[in-house]
Amino acid sequence: MGGVMGIFQYEDDLLRSVQRLKDAGLPRPIVVSPVPLEHELEHIYGPRKSPVRRFSLAGGLTGAVAGFALAVACALVFVLPTAGRAVIPFPPFLVISYEMTILMGVLFTLIGFHVVSGLPAWQDHPYDERLNVDRFGVIVPCESDAQRSEAERLIREGGAEDVREVEDAS
Amino acid sequence: MSESAQAGYASAIGRETPAEEPYVEPKWHEVNDDVLRTMLVTGPRYWMLLGATVTVAVVCFFIPWSMLLKNGLGLAGNNRSANWSTFLSNFIFWIGLSHSGTLLSAVLHITQSSWRKAIYRSAEAMTLFSLMTAAMFVLVHLGRVWFVHWSVPIPNPMGLWPNFRSPLMFDVMAITTYLTASSIFIYMGSVPDFAAVRDRSTGVRKRLYTIFSFGWRGTDKEWHTLGWAYTFFAVFVIPLAVSVHSIVSWDFALSVVPGFHHTIFAPYFVCGAIYSGTAGIVTVMYLLRKYLGLERYIQEDHFDKLGKLLIVLSLIWTYINVMELFTGWYSGGSFEIEALRFKLFGFYAPLFWEMIICCTFVPMLMLSKRIRTNWTWMLWISLFINLGMLTERFIIVATSQPRKFLPDAFGFYFPGWTEFCITIGSFAIFATLFLIFIKWVPCVSLYEVKETLTPRRRVK
Repeated sequence: MGGVMGIFQYEDDLLRSVQRLKDAGLPRPIVVSPVPLEHELEHIYGPRKSPVRRFSLAGGLTGAVAGFALAVACALVFVLPTAGRAVIPFPPFLVISYEMTILMGVLFTLIGFHVVSGLPAWQDHPYDERLNVDRFGVIVPCESDAQRSEAERLIREGGAEDVREVEDAS
Repeated sequence: MSESAQAGYASAIGRETPAEEPYVEPKWHEVNDDVLRTMLVTGPRYWMLLGATVTVAVVCFFIPWSMLLKNGLGLAGNNRSANWSTFLSNFIFWIGLSHSGTLLSAVLHITQSSWRKAIYRSAEAMTLFSLMTAAMFVLVHLGRVWFVHWSVPIPNPMGLWPNFRSPLMFDVMAITTYLTASSIFIYMGSVPDFAAVRDRSTGVRKRLYTIFSFGWRGTDKEWHTLGWAYTFFAVFVIPLAVSVHSIVSWDFALSVVPGFHHTIFAPYFVCGAIYSGTAGIVTVMYLLRKYLGLERYIQEDHFDKLGKLLIVLSLIWTYINVMELFTGWYSGGSFEIEALRFKLFGFYAPLFWEMIICCTFVPMLMLSKRIRTNWTWMLWISLFINLGMLTERFIIVATSQPRKFLPDAFGFYFPGWTEFCITIGSFAIFATLFLIFIKWVPCVSLYEVKETLTPRRRVK
């Protein structure tokens, strides 16, 4: 889907334009910035939670079970009787379970990050190198020419220093 | 630069009173210029230093280690009553040094302390490289390193599986987890900065950083997801870091050796680790500030806050030390009393008192703000603290094992030339890894520093 991309010098100009785009009923734009603007965008679009947390929970639970199972399996496959102590004792195996909870929690969170963010993304997306330094960008996906001209007008009026059309507004 | 903007930055990094020298806040593009310059511009001094550290690492670490591999651990000063020696004390030291980086970074991230932002990347790198160096000591201590895979639960022809009731296997799990989590933590925090390097590079470097940055653009979705993931990483890392040094302490405390068998060992080790790691951060920050020209990012206030943290840690560490001695003495057990007597008044007593001076009395100098905000004083104090902590690890290992139970089992341990060399070599390995790091990863987080600067708004 094509669209319009605008580059702003100032953060408040960008946010004002995003608010106007929303008010005009245009699709939610992609905001590109050198620093996170989550809290500012929450004021416009409302707070949202990330599904990453579900990956973390799933990882933690998987790790807890897998860690204990690993210790039990090792103890059963290679039985090592020691002074009448239990072959499957809980306290030491819970330590293994604890460590595996964290290990799997971290690894699942990493997977969650990639799944949710869509990274790695090697294909060409609209981008400008200044957006990683001191400029702010907005990319508006447009379904029709009317939307495109409306978006372009709003972005220009918002104080964008550069406005361009993009073929792939993702 | 307006006064209000300066005050904004000062407030963001927690400065309560203006510094004596006028501070000029960097502009956003200057942050990129200043930090990326440390990566992209390399002078002859860097190469000379890298050459020196690599040489020392090879000569002092790898050559003596190869001799140990050839001739056996008997070449070191280990003997029958002191099977654990300098290699293990160095292992604990390096694990301890690793503690403040990721842990401090995670705690300060969760508590939203903005002064963390300029220093955390290098602190996390310190964690990573300390852990790697510590892992080297496990391999050295192991002797027959080619059997290291026996500690991993993988199928093998002997049908041998690890015994997870042993605290040494706790260690394997804990350190593997900590190394993995710390690597992911530092990497994920660096992804937006890798994109900044990509944008500034050409040729092979650009292609490499395109891969490293996963094609990061800085969209709101990417920031949002990274923010959540990073917070979860921090939440996982905090209990992990505490568990790692607790588990290292159980290598000792779960034995019945007098001097090792203390319930206080876990908090003692964790506190000592954070203490040593925080002092390590001060040393690294001093060097980065001085030699990479990062004066505008690593400020007096960072040293001031780290100094306050060190005072608190010093007091806790001292308290735990006194309690360890007290509980040993109060138990009245003859073996414990002998272990205490040997520690306080025996052959190694000078080292014990040196440790107390370095870790209890010297840090009290930081009660003065003038000292906390003086770079040179802070460097020397941090070095003294880590000297004391290195000694502490040695005392724990070297004074307990040779003094256990029956007098005919008493022995004596003194490090030989291999231990001294390998210890020096380990510092060279750490320095080498750090020198490589500063050329591959922005040592100050670009986006987080920008967050502490005056926002780029038309309406101020």
